[in-house]
Amino acid sequence: MLTVENLEKSFTTPAGDVHAVDDVSFVANTGEMVAIVGPSGSGKSTLLSLLGLLDAPDSGSIEIDGRELGNLSSSERTKFRAHDVGFVFQGFNLIPNLTAQENVELVLEFADWPKDERADRAEEMLEMVGFTPEMAKRRPSRLSGGEQQRVAIARAFATQPPLILADEPTGSLDKKTGQKIVQLLRAAASAQNATVLVVTHDDRVAEQADRRFEIEDGKLSEVG
Amino acid sequence: MSALVRGVKNAFRNMVRSVGIIVILGLVIALAISMAIARSAVDQKINDVRASTGNTISVSPAGFFGFQGGGTPLTTAEMQKLAQIPNVTSVRQSLQERLSTSDTSLKSSITPGSLGQQFGGGGNGGFGGFGGQSSSSGSTQTFTIPVTFTGTNAPGYALVGGANGGGTEKLTQGSTFAPTSSDDVAVVGKNLASANRLSVGSTFTAWGATIKVIGIYDAGSTFADDGVLMPLSTVQTLANASGQVTSATVVVNSVDNVATVTNQVKAELGSKADVTSTQQIVENQLAPLNSVKTISTYTLIGSVIAAGLILLLSMLMIVRERRREIGVLKAIGAPNKTVVGQFVSESLTFTVLGSILGLIVGIVLSNPITNALVSSNTNSTSTGFAGPGGGFVRPGGFSGGGGGNFMPPSGGGGFRFGGFHSFSNTLTQVHAAASWSTLLVAFVIAIVIAVIGSTVAVANVVRVRPAEVLRSE
Repeated sequence: MLTVENLEKSFTTPAGDVHAVDDVSFVANTGEMVAIVGPSGSGKSTLLSLLGLLDAPDSGSIEIDGRELGNLSSSERTKFRAHDVGFVFQGFNLIPNLTAQENVELVLEFADWPKDERADRAEEMLEMVGFTPEMAKRRPSRLSGGEQQRVAIARAFATQPPLILADEPTGSLDKKTGQKIVQLLRAAASAQNATVLVVTHDDRVAEQADRRFEIEDGKLSEVG
Repeated sequence: MSALVRGVKNAFRNMVRSVGIIVILGLVIALAISMAIARSAVDQKINDVRASTGNTISVSPAGFFGFQGGGTPLTTAEMQKLAQIPNVTSVRQSLQERLSTSDTSLKSSITPGSLGQQFGGGGNGGFGGFGGQSSSSGSTQTFTIPVTFTGTNAPGYALVGGANGGGTEKLTQGSTFAPTSSDDVAVVGKNLASANRLSVGSTFTAWGATIKVIGIYDAGSTFADDGVLMPLSTVQTLANASGQVTSATVVVNSVDNVATVTNQVKAELGSKADVTSTQQIVENQLAPLNSVKTISTYTLIGSVIAAGLILLLSMLMIVRERRREIGVLKAIGAPNKTVVGQFVSESLTFTVLGSILGLIVGIVLSNPITNALVSSNTNSTSTGFAGPGGGFVRPGGFSGGGGGNFMPPSGGGGFRFGGFHSFSNTLTQVHAAASWSTLLVAFVIAIVIAVIGSTVAVANVVRVRPAEVLRSE
């Protein structure tokens, strides 16, 4: 379960201080898929950075399964990202000179999975997202956008993290493929009992979530 | 797949660029290795030359130049003081006299010839100069060449042979005398012995005394084989030159101590003696090689820095290009050390491949580069090189002063005659060859380059914040 309380983050710009995340509080339950929608510049990505410990909040707290994450050191944050968070990016962000299989194995290496189990686990995850062994040997340049995003999902779930953060996961995909990716995310979340937080500006994606929040000028409100 | 393996794989992500980096790096490293080999070869040559130039210091009265110059003779007492200087192993003393037929029963085996007529009669004293007989009556000049008597406490050290273009005197008959002997005995040059029908046991007269021939020597040159070697104290007594010495050779225990002892000898004798070490002369002649050594050292350092900069800029470009990827790696849990290790590994891959290429090219090019460097430097100084050699023999004195026996100040050391010329020729014969030390140098160069090249890349990798990945989406 993800619990966020009074989370704040501001940036100083030449035009003055900007409250990118302004007193945000919410709870997302285990196995639940939560959508956060909002226009560009509303603070979606900043909120995701804070939840993924890519950035530090100015104030407030983030807890996962009762564990407070606000006071972790830099190396503990890195460990947390390796073990407890899975990222799915809009631009897929696979490593271009590694095969699909190697891309998935990479996070297992960072999460200190036993060497002899990594290949099997990567194969298992790629199979889960519909990859054949032959496809697993391809590099990203030889995969379509949808296929690349499926590899990214396999990568995100590989370490069995309790939290998956997806930033516009369908943003670079066509409607039909996007639909499949969201379904895949839902299925994986439920299979692995993970909390999935999807940031999107696509209402069709948000409609498939269990709960939906809107963010505007850094303020979050539940809309359904 | 470890970070190191990923780094190696990353080095070939852009094959054209990678090949470009490796080739440029390789060429610069080749230059560095060539310079290292050249430096080592030249250094070896310098050491060899220094080691082969001997460990002797020549001492002669100031202004004394064979039988042409002047000066006040040195004394045996002064020589004994020189023997007390630390690191001096011995002092070889000699006293030379030239006797005309009025003072000795011996006649020189050398005929004046047309050169003798030309040089001998031309000046005040002519060829006979010091002790010879000369006459000048119009265009016909006749004189006899005097016989050189050398008193020495160190027979057998090229005192005659070395000074006159020959080598160490080889005893062909009989025996020699003891260094401290004061007997009226002599070892006679083979030409002089032949001209005067002398053999072991024969006698001749000099300074009115009867001298017994105890040996015949062969020094390898016509002039040298026309001399007489006698015990120093005998010559000093007979020539009424008690305690006098016209030249000495100070022998030092090590080449490394020659410079120090030279200064001490100069301090001891002051302005009354000309003190010259072979080492000083050699150092002057080694100046071009030292220039090559300096040039190669600076070029070596410059090449290593250039190679480091090439790698540094390449890695900087690569890190900037992969900024997003670095952010992704950090976002999905890669610790800084893993990402840094990956880029250091990539940098090392370029360095290792560049070094291998550089080593091969460097070894191939080292000899031509070394020869070109040595030739250009020794050629540029060859005019100056010939000068001291010619001046040393004093051609002016040769023609005008009339000293037939153009003895060097020391009276010893074959190096001074003709030795210069052959020595200067060998200076350009530097052979550059790779060795294990070359590999070690290449390894050190590679490490330095990799460290320089990786530093900025590492700093840039560490600075990338993973949150930048999401912001740039």
